[in-house]
Amino acid sequence: MSGLTRSPWVIHYDASSCNGCDIEVLASLTPGFDVERFGIINTGNPKHADIFLVTGSVNQPNRDVVRSIYEQMPEPRVVMALGICATSGGIFRECYNVAGGVDTVIPVDVYVPGCAVRPEAIIDGVVMALGILEKRRLRLRQDAQATSGDLRIERATAEDIPEILTIQKIAYRSEAEIYADQSLPPLQQSLAEITHDYERMVFFKGVINGKIVASVRGYDNGQGTAHLLRLSVHPYFQGRGYGQRLVAAIEQSFPACRRFEIFTGHRSERNQHLYGKLGYARFKSEPFNPQVEWVYMEKQRS
Amino acid sequence: MNSWGHVLIRVLIYLVAAPLLGGLLAGIDRRISARMQSRVGPPLLQPFYDVAKLWSKEPIVVRRSQNFYIIFFFLLTVFTGGLFFCGSDLLLVFFALTLSGIFFILGAYKASSPYSFVGASRELIQVMAYEPIVLLTAVGLYMATGTFQVDAIWGGAFHPLKALPGAHIPVLLLPGVFVALLYAMEIKFRKSPFDLAASHHAHQELVRGITTEFSGPTLAMIEVAHWYENVMLLGWIFLFFGSCWPAGLIACAVTYFLLLVVDNVCARVKWPVMLRSAWGMTLVFGFGNIVVLSLLK
Repeated sequence: MSGLTRSPWVIHYDASSCNGCDIEVLASLTPGFDVERFGIINTGNPKHADIFLVTGSVNQPNRDVVRSIYEQMPEPRVVMALGICATSGGIFRECYNVAGGVDTVIPVDVYVPGCAVRPEAIIDGVVMALGILEKRRLRLRQDAQATSGDLRIERATAEDIPEILTIQKIAYRSEAEIYADQSLPPLQQSLAEITHDYERMVFFKGVINGKIVASVRGYDNGQGTAHLLRLSVHPYFQGRGYGQRLVAAIEQSFPACRRFEIFTGHRSERNQHLYGKLGYARFKSEPFNPQVEWVYMEKQRS
Repeated sequence: MNSWGHVLIRVLIYLVAAPLLGGLLAGIDRRISARMQSRVGPPLLQPFYDVAKLWSKEPIVVRRSQNFYIIFFFLLTVFTGGLFFCGSDLLLVFFALTLSGIFFILGAYKASSPYSFVGASRELIQVMAYEPIVLLTAVGLYMATGTFQVDAIWGGAFHPLKALPGAHIPVLLLPGVFVALLYAMEIKFRKSPFDLAASHHAHQELVRGITTEFSGPTLAMIEVAHWYENVMLLGWIFLFFGSCWPAGLIACAVTYFLLLVVDNVCARVKWPVMLRSAWGMTLVFGFGNIVVLSLLK
């Protein structure tokens, strides 16, 4: 048994619950049930949590909040839907403003029904979640040892777009640090803007064990040139050749194009080195703002 | 015996024993706190399970460089404890500890998040609150024993005030400084009412304050650094009892229990209250004690 199963830290979010289940969640922390006996702590911080407890039927305004909390939690993580509203929408299922259960927004691992859910049932559910957590931990270890060959490259679908945006923002942090500039376009892009990109560009994703860790996009300008943009690899998967494989895959998806173009910042030496290795050569540069100059690189299809 | 070999053995014992003792203390802390709230509480080894768990988690960062500062925080905290338990200069120990604290704060500032910022600012205020009495502790111990060397104080080697009764136990000459340091300990141990920078409990206005943006192995490192630090802080209490080590051990146990009681009966205060009261205690008890001591000379 690992430390993980002995120390599950939880975060609790009320997604428009009537507070019945919330009170039961808090009741399980009180002397009567004392879940700290099993090492369970209510952290209130997604970055410290292992288990995400959601109560309530999830209405439109808190869809994004639920997703955001989920995305901030480090792997391995488990989601528990507590109470009948969280599992299926309950009696609010038909409401115009209700998404109808947590699994309409994020993947749920353990469903604990009840109205309100009993503390005993919550504890029982957490025990179930521990088994799942342990499995995920073992898989995470496999991820860490994953090589270039384990990467699955596919066309991204519309559902992948929010996750790709997250990877982009994580990956471009290092660029922001190079130029001490937070205003770089990849970091500023909103979900609406990337969705617009998705409508006119081809997106590729790199997947390891079901999780997106890298992405690139590109479009054909109609004059035989394909523009490739925003190659993003999650920092913990960099240096394993994933970027090279993604670029090669997206180049093949433009069979009509004879020329490829890509750009990066003038001080982003790692990127320039990577593109150089892929056969790209610098052909022009133009200033973007006082700190950053875009370096354009091109390649002819052989 | 070769003095270098002697020091090396002490360092090795410290490196291994301090985190074990610190983790155990944290476990006892959680268990006693639970009992005070009429709960059963987690197993005694829970802090070790927590750290083992954190070690296996995915590291998520806002900026990769934030973890760099935490590595320095960890190393400097361990180094500070090493200096102390090797019987080095007390002033050096205090300054090294401040430096490690500053690295922790810089790490939190590097992770640009409002909660982390609030935590870091409050940590700075906490440093301001406890630093005067920490310095006065060094001054007081020097006046009482005539040396800054931890070893010499432990050994009860040299006492300029030998004529006074009980001069071989510094606390008898420095009761005021000791009381003021106890007050500062409540801040150093991050206990209520002064757990302003990093709360152990959820649903606070600052999430987790200074540690909000640290996850996985980095958080584990912060936790272990605190274990090292706590053991050293109890070492300071021990120091006040000089060569009378049974009294020192009892004082450490009583101090720790007292910190827990206060933690459980107090709600947290706002920072101005902490700053004013800590400086007030320092001025009245700490500085007052030192003035009296200088008149006795």
